[in-house]
Amino acid sequence: MTSTVDPISLPQRAASNDTEIDRAALARLLVEIARNVDPDHHARFDGVPTADRRMETLRQLLVGREISELSRVTHLLGEPEQLATAVGGVLPSAAARASHAQLGEALAPAVERAVQRSIQKSPRTLTDILYPVFLPAIRKSIGEKIDQTFQSLNETLRHIFTWHGLKWRFESWRTGASFSEVVLKHSLVYRVEHVFLISRNSGLLIAHVTADNATSEDPQLISSMLSAIQDFVKDSFNEKEQSSLDTIRFGDLRLWSEVGQFATLVSVIRGNPPEELHEIVRDVLLRIHEESSEALGEFDGDGSQLAGVEAQLQTCVELKQEESNQGFPWLVVAVAVLFLSLAGGWFFLSWQSGQRWQAYVSRLGTQPGIIVSEQKIRYGQFYIAGLRDPLAADPQSLLSGTQVDPARVHSQWQFYQSLEPEFVLKRLTASLAPPDSVRLSIVNDRIVAEGEAPATWIKRAQAAAQQLSAGGPVFDISRVRDVSPEEREAERWQAYVSRLGAQPGIIVAEQKIRDGQFYIAGLRDPLGADPQSLLSGTQIDPARVHSQWQFYQSLEPAFVLKRLMASLYPPDTVRLSIVNDRIVAEGEAPDTWIDRARAAARQLSAGGPEFDISKVRDVSPEARAAEHWQYYVSRLEAQSGIIVAQQTARGGHFYISGLRDPLAADPQALLSGTEVDPARVHAQWQFYQSLEPEFVLKRLTASLTPPKSVLLSIVQGRIVVVGEAPVGWINRARAAAEQLSADGVVLDVSQLRELNLAELNHLREAIQATDIFFYSGKAVPGPEQTPVLDRLADQLKEFAQSARKSGVTARFMLTGHSDGTGRETANVSISAARAEAVRALLNRRGVAPELLLVRGAGTFEPVVPENSQTGSSTNRRVSVTVNLD
Amino acid sequence: MLQKKICMLGGFSVGKTSLVRRFVQSIFSETYLTTVGVKIDKKSVALPGKTVDLILWDLAGEDDIGSFRVSHVRGATGLVLVVDGTRAATLAAALTLRERVEAEFGAMPFVLLFNKSDLADRWEISDSEIDNLRQLGWQIYLTSALSGEHVDDAFRQLASMVTK
Repeated sequence: MTSTVDPISLPQRAASNDTEIDRAALARLLVEIARNVDPDHHARFDGVPTADRRMETLRQLLVGREISELSRVTHLLGEPEQLATAVGGVLPSAAARASHAQLGEALAPAVERAVQRSIQKSPRTLTDILYPVFLPAIRKSIGEKIDQTFQSLNETLRHIFTWHGLKWRFESWRTGASFSEVVLKHSLVYRVEHVFLISRNSGLLIAHVTADNATSEDPQLISSMLSAIQDFVKDSFNEKEQSSLDTIRFGDLRLWSEVGQFATLVSVIRGNPPEELHEIVRDVLLRIHEESSEALGEFDGDGSQLAGVEAQLQTCVELKQEESNQGFPWLVVAVAVLFLSLAGGWFFLSWQSGQRWQAYVSRLGTQPGIIVSEQKIRYGQFYIAGLRDPLAADPQSLLSGTQVDPARVHSQWQFYQSLEPEFVLKRLTASLAPPDSVRLSIVNDRIVAEGEAPATWIKRAQAAAQQLSAGGPVFDISRVRDVSPEEREAERWQAYVSRLGAQPGIIVAEQKIRDGQFYIAGLRDPLGADPQSLLSGTQIDPARVHSQWQFYQSLEPAFVLKRLMASLYPPDTVRLSIVNDRIVAEGEAPDTWIDRARAAARQLSAGGPEFDISKVRDVSPEARAAEHWQYYVSRLEAQSGIIVAQQTARGGHFYISGLRDPLAADPQALLSGTEVDPARVHAQWQFYQSLEPEFVLKRLTASLTPPKSVLLSIVQGRIVVVGEAPVGWINRARAAAEQLSADGVVLDVSQLRELNLAELNHLREAIQATDIFFYSGKAVPGPEQTPVLDRLADQLKEFAQSARKSGVTARFMLTGHSDGTGRETANVSISAARAEAVRALLNRRGVAPELLLVRGAGTFEPVVPENSQTGSSTNRRVSVTVNLD
Repeated sequence: MLQKKICMLGGFSVGKTSLVRRFVQSIFSETYLTTVGVKIDKKSVALPGKTVDLILWDLAGEDDIGSFRVSHVRGATGLVLVVDGTRAATLAAALTLRERVEAEFGAMPFVLLFNKSDLADRWEISDSEIDNLRQLGWQIYLTSALSGEHVDDAFRQLASMVTK
């Protein structure tokens, strides 16, 4: 059944109560529902109260849960803390679900600001975070830089002294580039042959590019294997770091690996790449990552997304450095010319050395005892082989002077015995040892022995000759005389005996040889030659000589003369000689000697030679002594300063008397050399002063002691004094001249000049103007006088030295003074004490004490009148005066 | 060019190497296995509309599971688990290896090969056991490196699995 229900008209305005529910609409809806449930229900809408409590209950029933949920959410949104907790709970998953690009863009500014703030606040935090990331990169970069430097250095050093090096240096100068750059440019010849881009995750090949003409096995397998090897190395050596295998080198081939975030770029390089290539390759890898980061990250074996990568890789394989071969090949020409000239030189040198070698070989061939069997030159080395006799010349020593390098000579010599006569001769000489009396020589290729030899030797020689006859030269010993030693000795003995017989004073009576012993007997004069000593040089063994000699006196004049000399012992004035077999004595001798000589002459007349003594004059010793004495006296008389008054010779004694000057020669000393016996001389001498100028001069020199500047000399019997002297000395000299004039001796002092002491005078005045002052009652000067004393001491020393140079002695008189106060005795003693004190002080300053004289003057020599205080203090002093001797 | 990294896992002497020797493209000698511990081979599989290059990482088989280098598996999209059908223990080894790989890199498609199927008289794995494993949805092949039986099928299956 259907019924039409009055539509509930909707209120025109919203309910005005606090809830926002349109109560009127709700009421109409409820009436409608009721009408649908019961068509008879005709309740009018008008009657529905707007504030019906049941409406509220109904609302609670219908939407109560939603209301409470809503209020909770409202509360949640209204409370920031609660909201933050809620959002925090979902933020991570929300971020994970958000679109990467959008989220990135939204977050980027905030993250940037955050990082900025963090750095501003404390850079350390970020540094700590980034440290593990940056460190390996920095380390690697530095490592590469160092490698690069070393490479540059290595190559520079390797080429620095080569021909290339010179060429490159020129190029460096021409282009302005550094030398090492040029070296690297030329020496680092390389070519990148393959480039593999490999997924880091799976080891799958992303892209592979090959240079022209380069081949390799399946790149897919290679790339996987490379990754496997990377893993292998990393695992094997437990390398935890995020680094990777950089370089694999195999001969000329290098594999360089650059690791990126998603992919590894492996370049296969042939040759010697520069280290900078690392950077180029890395740049390519970075570019690839920039452009295709997403595709790389998601790479799962499908390379279609990464088609553009190959173009990038292509840039890598085009990298190469090749040796340029352009331009005129002058280098080649130069090398060729050099080679040709070297080769020419070599050929010349080897030809020359070959010539020298041939000269040497032919020289060897002409050597006796050397047989060259083989010789050749190979590779500049000389080989020679053959036979040589050990007695032949040494081939090695023959090399010297041939200009053949001994180090390049390889020789092989077999020894053999040459049968050439000269070698046989050498060998015979060595083996037979012939005695001195045998001479071996080569005559027409035969060896001939000549001379004398004992029978035993001749036998050995015969045996050797027989051996030689087998093929060697003939050894002829027929000319060797058989001589036994006995015969030789007998010959020598005879020669000795005949020599003895010829000796004067030796008479051989008998001689014989028996059983190898020699016996001889005869007479000999003791003055003759000794037969024993004559044996020396005769080659006769003295031990086997038995001699018996009887002495006898030979009457030959020479022997007689010898005997006379020994027995008569003639004085030096007698000379004995042999004249026509007569012995003649000449000269003077005492009569005693003449008597002995006559007796000897008589004895000799019995059969010996005549002894003639008629020419010897009789001289007695007395007469000789008188002669000597007269000679001595005349010698004395010639002496100046000696006057002989009387002299006699009586009974072998000599008496003499006279005057002598003490400065004259000593008569006793004059005796020596006169052969007058001093013991027999009796002299009486009176002293006197000789007025002879030379004596006067000596006396004057001793008494006046002239200064060095004065010279005394004798001129024509007069004594002349010349030079400069102080006035005092001149006065003394004049006084001496006056005294001498009374004795008739002239002393000329007119040429004497007064010593010029101008320089000294100045100093003298300075010294004499100096006074040392004292305090009242003090004997020692006050300390303020020290500089005065110092200066005075210096002046005194200088003056003394200058005076000494001029030949005069300076003496300084220190006079002490006192003031007038006090008693006179005390004043005298204090003045002397002051002078003594100054002397001591000057002495301490180096002035010789013997030059300083001291006296005390008391108050007697005041410098100013004693009437004021000033006067007293001025008078208490020590003054200095200078005296010259 | 579509390529996928596949790791071949299996215990010592299960025949991984001989399995691939006849059926893959290889440039590296087997000494790599003993030196580097891995040998790379390539198997191109033609699928409808595309060709997939399977880059096979033959990892040195070791009984000592601890020394197995998991790092070699990084980036692999599929596994070939090889079991020696004549040695039951090698099944457990293969499964353990797979667990270790999954623990490290997450689950990835695989085929399980029971090798040496030509040696029926020494076979140690029961059919029921294999059926149980098949129940898990695993792709299982009984292969023989000697005859080449099912080898290509297995690779084709894996290729289609990894390119889905």
